[in-house]
Amino acid sequence: MAVKKDLSINYLGVNCENPFFLSSSPVGGNYDMVKKSYEAGWGGVFFKTVGIFVADECSPRFDITRKEGTPWLGFKNMEQISDKPTEKNFEFMDRLKRDFPDKVMVATIMGSTEDEWKQLAKMCDQIGADLIEGNFSCPQMTSHDMGSDVGTNVELVEKYARAVTSATKIPFIAKMTPNTKNMEEPARAAIRGGAASVSGINTIKSITNIDFENMTGMPVVNGKSSISGYSGAAVKPIALRFAAQLMQDPEIHRLCAAQGRKFEYSGIGGIETWRDAAEFLALGCRNVQVTTAIMQYGYRIVEDMISGMSHFMDERGYTNIEQFIGSALPNLIPAEDINRDFKIYPKFDNKKCVGCGRCYVSCYDAAHQAIDWDEKKRKPILIEDNCVGCHLCLNVCPVQDCILPGEIFWKKGRKKTDIVMKHDYE
Amino acid sequence: MSKVDKPKYTAEAMAGYNHRTAMEEAARCLLCHDAPCSKGCPAGTNPGDFIRSIRFRNVKGAAEIIRENNVLGGTCARVCPYDRLCEEYCSRCGIDKPIKIGELQRYAIDQEKIFKMKTLKAPAKKMKQTVACVGAGPASLACAAELAKAGYKVTIFEREEKPGGVLTYGIAPSRLPQAVVDHDIAQVKGLGVKFEMGKKVKAADLEGFDAIFLGTGLWGSKFPSIPGIDLKGAYAANEYLKKARSGAKGFNPGKKVVVIGGGDVAVDCAVTAKLLGAEDVKIVYRRTLEEAPGNMTEFQYALSLGIGITTNMAPAEVIGTKKVEAIAFDGRKKVSEKSGLKLEADTVVFAIGQGAEDVSDLVAVDTDDKGMIKANKNGKTNVKKYFAAGDIVNGGKTVVEAVAQGKAAAAAMVAFLEKGVK
Repeated sequence: MAVKKDLSINYLGVNCENPFFLSSSPVGGNYDMVKKSYEAGWGGVFFKTVGIFVADECSPRFDITRKEGTPWLGFKNMEQISDKPTEKNFEFMDRLKRDFPDKVMVATIMGSTEDEWKQLAKMCDQIGADLIEGNFSCPQMTSHDMGSDVGTNVELVEKYARAVTSATKIPFIAKMTPNTKNMEEPARAAIRGGAASVSGINTIKSITNIDFENMTGMPVVNGKSSISGYSGAAVKPIALRFAAQLMQDPEIHRLCAAQGRKFEYSGIGGIETWRDAAEFLALGCRNVQVTTAIMQYGYRIVEDMISGMSHFMDERGYTNIEQFIGSALPNLIPAEDINRDFKIYPKFDNKKCVGCGRCYVSCYDAAHQAIDWDEKKRKPILIEDNCVGCHLCLNVCPVQDCILPGEIFWKKGRKKTDIVMKHDYE
Repeated sequence: MSKVDKPKYTAEAMAGYNHRTAMEEAARCLLCHDAPCSKGCPAGTNPGDFIRSIRFRNVKGAAEIIRENNVLGGTCARVCPYDRLCEEYCSRCGIDKPIKIGELQRYAIDQEKIFKMKTLKAPAKKMKQTVACVGAGPASLACAAELAKAGYKVTIFEREEKPGGVLTYGIAPSRLPQAVVDHDIAQVKGLGVKFEMGKKVKAADLEGFDAIFLGTGLWGSKFPSIPGIDLKGAYAANEYLKKARSGAKGFNPGKKVVVIGGGDVAVDCAVTAKLLGAEDVKIVYRRTLEEAPGNMTEFQYALSLGIGITTNMAPAEVIGTKKVEAIAFDGRKKVSEKSGLKLEADTVVFAIGQGAEDVSDLVAVDTDDKGMIKANKNGKTNVKKYFAAGDIVNGGKTVVEAVAQGKAAAAAMVAFLEKGVK
């Protein structure tokens, strides 16, 4: 029997069968799409952003980055919020909520004035949305009264959050933009305005490629292009950083406590696998959202997110997701608090070594000339005196488990303690 | 039931890489510090560098590296026994399987053609001395290209209508399409090398040249000393392939073809028969596959076309009255001497190596008992200003070795000619 674990989680008072949601994007833009995603196993949807504004889109509107043979390292899109009439979108959401009462419907909205935000919030009330997300972060809106231009303005974030939370009792999530020097300030503003949660990150302003055929960016729209949002695997490290910074911000926790709740965060950014999702959960996220990987592979990827997460929990003896949410957070500390008293030499496994010399090249050209090269045997030899224990060699070695952490060396005059180190590298 | 492929005679056996698949393969390369693959290439084609160029999105640079080091880079990409050369040295073998170096080389040369690149250029200022190359096969082409690059005026003499030698007349087009050969030869022509085609060269023609290269190859038909080899329908591999390749009108090997031999040429003959429509094609070799000089990939290709391979059987007699009707074999001594075999055949092809032709009417160079010209590793013969390399010296090896030896001879010829100036 396939391993199945209880992946259910309470997010903002709503019971979710699992934390895997579609993010507000083209992947959840009408009834049939969301129905199919539900049937594939997704726990809920952040429905494609609805505004009073109806988007007029360009063609083409996507581009990708690749590295060697790997396509979709990152993904750029020029789409705005929904291009369907506002009423039509609410009708889709209404039907979906009625037909799939156990799935979680999050209505993502975007207004351009206080009144529009209020009006949209009331419409969410009428269709019985479980949660509302406010999109303060789309970086490619053609109107500057909306999107990330709003999300970087703390006064507007607070004002519009208050507009929504004054118009409805449905918990409100403010979706953050990464196109800002820090995310704590707009997140605090949203919470001051009554938001129950924040989500992030929306896409990063980008130019993915320059097209030399037309001497413009990609995608090429009538010989021109624009800066627009970047997503996918390439942005995951940045998304994780913002998640950790928000989760570790004392002011956010204080503001939430004052409202009688705990801070809850929904993580977005480059999630393709159960492992990516588990990383966000380990940083304290109670919900994760996915788009780019679905655009590339389809809704079916959730099957391996569910199964893979179940196996992960089984291996580690977790019976529910709560048991590991936030467990990595205490171990992320400021650079000044890192122990710098020792170095760990690399250990070369000569039997596994295929003699490519990549460790030698990188150590010489980019580190500390701490590897000698035996030309005849085609093997690296560590020069311990030069080695600083940076592990660049371990990271360039193409052979699994060929270079691993070895002996610990204590710097002169430093106090030996028990060291926690990593042993397993994939 | 096994799946058997049924391609056309002129169809290439394998589709080449496109940008994406080439990049996927190049990304598998470990980019070794010491590039052992490059050490594995006799002709110095330098795969370590050209794969790195592909990987860093510089396919034109890759084509330059190949072309500058190996003027027959397109041909070698198709016919090289990679698994015994560069790919055998590939460090990736220690992880899973080698990089498909030949396929990447083919891709780079394909791009060279698509972009109409002109990589090789001869210096505008020419040297005074002139050079003649006899034969337009791989060794001569490589030698001529190197000398032209060094500024010498080179003339190639070839008795056949088209240049290429064994490339044009001796390899099945499924393995080496004529367009690939022509594209490589166009690079040699682009260097200003003069081609005198359809001319059986005489000693007098060579008199005015300051240095002469003999790359005449092996075109003497070789048959075993058994009865029946004179019957109609019994061929030596070279004449059989030439007939097929030059499109001799209505050439039809019949329904049943037996090829005798264990090299790549034997496979070429069998594949040719199959692709020309023969129903029952067999390769019979007197030793084991392990002892066979041919490439396993070529034998596997033959199998994929439904060609049978029988080992440890030596030909004993070609049977027939006016034409070939069958061929009989004896089992290999001490292994299966009580065995025997008799196969019906419309055509019997002997691919058991080729013999040297007499070159004494051109020049009195020393030859060995098999008629091979005696030359050192730099192509020097016993006669001043005469150099030789390729099959006529080494007794019949690979194209890439002929290229390597042609290059080495050219270097020695340059040294010889420079000395003459002083």
